[in-house]
Amino acid sequence: MAVKKGLFKTSVGRKNLMAFTGLFIIFFLVIHLIGNLILVIPNSFFPIEFWNNVANGHDMYNAYSHFLVHFWPVTIVAYILYVAIITHIIDALLITLQNKKSQGEKYIVTDNSTSSWYSRNMGILGTVIGVFLVIHMAQFWLQYKVLKVEHDLYELVLATLKTWWFVLVYEIGIIALGFHLVHGIESAHRSLGIYPKKIMNTIKYIALCFSLVMAILYAIIPIILYFK
Amino acid sequence: MALNAKIPVGPLKDKWQNYLAKTHIVNPANRKKLDIIVVGAGLSGGGAAASLAELGYNVKVFFFQDSARRSHSVAAQGGVNAAKNYKNDGDNVYRMFYDTIKGGDFRSREANVYRMAEVSVDLIDHMVAQGVPFAREYSGYLSNRSFGGVLVSRTFYARGQTGQQLLMATYQAMMKQVKAETLKQYKRHEILDIVIVDGKARGIIARDLDTGKIERHAAHAVVFGTGGFGKIFYLSTLAMNSNGSANWRAHKKGAYFANPSWTQIHPTALPQAGEHQSKLTLMSESLRNDGRIWVPKKKDETRAPGDIPEEDRDYYLERRYPAFGNLVPRDVASRAAKERMDAGHGVGSLKNAVYLDFKTAIEKLGVDTIKERYGNLFTMYEKITAINAYKEPMKISPAAHFSMGGLWVDYELQTTIPGLFAVGEANFADHGANRLGANSLLQASVDGNFILPNTISNYLSNEIRTGKISTDTPEFEEAEKSVKEQVEKLLAIKGTMPVDKIHRRLGKIMFKEVAMSRNEKGLKWAIEEIRKLRTEFWENIAVSGDQNGPNSELEKAGRLADYLEIAELMAVDALNRRESCGAHFREDFQTEDGEAKRDDKNFMYSSAWEWDNGENWKLHKEPLEFTEVKPTVRSYK
Amino acid sequence: MKLTLKIWRQENAKSKGKMVTYKMSDLSEDMSFLEMLDVLNQSLAIKGERVIEFDHDCREGICGQCSLVINGQAHGPESHYTTCQTHLRSFKDGDTLFVEPFRANSFPVIRDLKVDRSSMDKIIQAGGYISSFTGMAPEANAIPIHHDIAESAFDSAACIGCGACVATCKNSSAALFVSAKISHLAKLPQGKVEREERVQWMVNAHDNEGFGSCSNTGACAMVCPQEVQLIDITRMNYEYNRAVCHSKE
Repeated sequence: MAVKKGLFKTSVGRKNLMAFTGLFIIFFLVIHLIGNLILVIPNSFFPIEFWNNVANGHDMYNAYSHFLVHFWPVTIVAYILYVAIITHIIDALLITLQNKKSQGEKYIVTDNSTSSWYSRNMGILGTVIGVFLVIHMAQFWLQYKVLKVEHDLYELVLATLKTWWFVLVYEIGIIALGFHLVHGIESAHRSLGIYPKKIMNTIKYIALCFSLVMAILYAIIPIILYFK
Repeated sequence: MALNAKIPVGPLKDKWQNYLAKTHIVNPANRKKLDIIVVGAGLSGGGAAASLAELGYNVKVFFFQDSARRSHSVAAQGGVNAAKNYKNDGDNVYRMFYDTIKGGDFRSREANVYRMAEVSVDLIDHMVAQGVPFAREYSGYLSNRSFGGVLVSRTFYARGQTGQQLLMATYQAMMKQVKAETLKQYKRHEILDIVIVDGKARGIIARDLDTGKIERHAAHAVVFGTGGFGKIFYLSTLAMNSNGSANWRAHKKGAYFANPSWTQIHPTALPQAGEHQSKLTLMSESLRNDGRIWVPKKKDETRAPGDIPEEDRDYYLERRYPAFGNLVPRDVASRAAKERMDAGHGVGSLKNAVYLDFKTAIEKLGVDTIKERYGNLFTMYEKITAINAYKEPMKISPAAHFSMGGLWVDYELQTTIPGLFAVGEANFADHGANRLGANSLLQASVDGNFILPNTISNYLSNEIRTGKISTDTPEFEEAEKSVKEQVEKLLAIKGTMPVDKIHRRLGKIMFKEVAMSRNEKGLKWAIEEIRKLRTEFWENIAVSGDQNGPNSELEKAGRLADYLEIAELMAVDALNRRESCGAHFREDFQTEDGEAKRDDKNFMYSSAWEWDNGENWKLHKEPLEFTEVKPTVRSYK
Repeated sequence: MKLTLKIWRQENAKSKGKMVTYKMSDLSEDMSFLEMLDVLNQSLAIKGERVIEFDHDCREGICGQCSLVINGQAHGPESHYTTCQTHLRSFKDGDTLFVEPFRANSFPVIRDLKVDRSSMDKIIQAGGYISSFTGMAPEANAIPIHHDIAESAFDSAACIGCGACVATCKNSSAALFVSAKISHLAKLPQGKVEREERVQWMVNAHDNEGFGSCSNTGACAMVCPQEVQLIDITRMNYEYNRAVCHSKE
């Protein structure tokens, strides 16, 4: 029997890959959230000029997005991010395929009281997030960065989020993300093998709080903008 | 054939070393030319298989379970004894040897017992090296506890699952050899016969329980680690599929059966709760350290145990045996319980239990201490009975547990069939008429790991020129034919009596007359009843299905057919031994105050029975000579 | 009490199985679940019908031979029980119970409720041992092991290899089983020497036997009769990653 070695090759290894890419995406989500929060800062928060002559949320947000697009280290990180997202998806598909193969005949009666629904349905949650991501990217990233048809991103965002059903799509995506994060963060640490019991319990707690804060903050922004 | 125990010369303490110094061994280059069949994969069989495979022999191991990790050694709870003297309490090999001889009521072979005590020291080292997580002190050193019948602390344990942990170590050692390709497993295979060629054991006939195929397997030697046959009582602490068939088939081919009637009845098992019950779960003997055993003084008491005042309770062990109280040896405790139940003082709906009460201990030590000591046992008790034993007393009852008797073996663990060896509970030599707690795991492990690998080489050294044994011989042909005939016969009866029902009835006969106390009249009655039941079995057994695949009814029927014959020999043996010793208590041979009366003048021997074509058995006596110890009267008053 | 049993009947691994209904009456709450199957089998045997094949042996929860999924729950409704410890008092009079075998691709059905769990043996064969031969051992007290470490090793070593974790896992992963052995041996000093080879071999064997990967849902630990903890899987992942990154040179 040839022994597969390496960090990413076995069933344990493939989960490492999920964990690494997942955690990197979470890092990006934090940065993304900070950017989003600029959208809802009231103008009264800018009493003095403190950066690039920015005096209000509109200018601040556009300056921030301009910076992201034109500062080369960020570009590199962005490419890493794309790779991470694609790897996360492909790896998930591979794992799911193997898992489906491992299952025998289906049970006639199943009882799911022993685990949480979101931990069992990471794939479905991930798919929802994926669909949302496509819509989201088509709406902003494609328009602003690739086609460059729109130069005032702030206005684009505001205009988009005046459509009620788009706000709804946004909220669904974020709720899925929230649940994906609750299990994902804990599971990632488990997959990477951060095992002492005390640490694991702390991580579980932090994961829950973090996911909740992330989801709430992400979720209120479109609602605020819709009513603005 | 005269019995020759082949006990080595020299003083008792030097015998094993003298043996090792002079025994023949096999050249490592020749070992891979020699095939050994091991039957059973528990501590004894598995230990032998792993150790022999490590030496380089070709080992084939057969067992009926679906994995070697499920052998019934797994169920032993208490611990394993070893004369390590870690407690500085005066323990040594001699003391352990003496305790075992005395515990067996001076009916075991001195040289074997001494060797077991001697090798016990190595066994703990071995098991620790294999990764057994024995209990430890905070210093990191091994912890010990005390067990019934001894004055020192020499029992090593891993919570209440010592047997499981030792078996895992043995199983893992086997798996290591499977990977090294010196050991081949035949799981879900049942042995239906042994094949003798030119007077030597040369192979077996096995049935693949999944495909139903009858197979022939040949080897230069056959080792039985087949365990005990206590399941003959149907209700016992043994596993459902434990059986005596391999031993019995060997017996019918010429292996003598020694002391078959000596069965240990364990005093602290869960009582039978209903007619459908299939198993009596054991509760560790250690419970008797803090629990007090009692029955109501009034016959047919209807009050709940908590409502019975102290003056209406009979703490009969404390009353009868003030010196040892609740800690008398197993045979004494079981017998005393039976006496009370027979007198009409039993408790529970079937009046078949006595109380084991922790109230006094909880008042004195607090519930937390009791929880720490016995928590897992109380949980287990609650799982089965739904009763919280912290609040009301446990109900316990005696249950068939261990077969002290088995295939007669000499000092080399070889049976009277050359080339057939028996290890562990399957043989007879070490425990005499009563086994001490925590000696069972010990005997099984040392037989398999340390003793057999050294003695079998003496036999195999003469086999290096034999060459491969062929299965294509008339002997194999004939054995296979008779096995097939029996299978077909069982399937052809198509009667109306299910196997379990007959087994249950056999168990009742056995438990009534061939268990805790026996008498001439009862034993004769039992023999008649067993014969009647055997006739009924062969006329009216209901075995459905076919033989070309898994058929659990067929498996059970085959085992029961053998039990129905073993049962008779057990009664014959008990009838022959007109004395009381250890677990063998003859009501017609007791002292005035109801204790066992041994007869050293006439019965200082092991009975080895030779099969005589089902007509009768021929008794051979192996005299027991005690050079180092002086047989005394066991008293616990 | 009365119960309606819907029991999975399947001739062999290749044939198609189906649920067959059996009505049971005159049952007592004190009966164990398997004793009820005994009674059912007796009645089938008398009628000359093929009995229901199911796995069982010690009937006290330690050998790991019994299996069964009852109403979707491995080893029945009580958590941390084995099927043989399950009694009818856990059900209500008149209940309908669906009895199925442990299902996983790596556990092919032998017949009815009996499955082949050899795949678990093969994982242990790959490295679930300490390569010490009989006779090699040093004095037992030569290596002190802290009380808490020995107890913790025991918690992992307590695994009975029943396969309920696999049967319960949505991915049919044997991660809890594998990790229990890896943790047991990695915690003890005598097992640490081979820890790197062991974890890699065993994880490889786990994959080769066709088990799925762990999603950390924790369902396995909830049904485990010996209460082996989910943390063992995390420890296995640590051992694996450590082994991959660590060099002995």
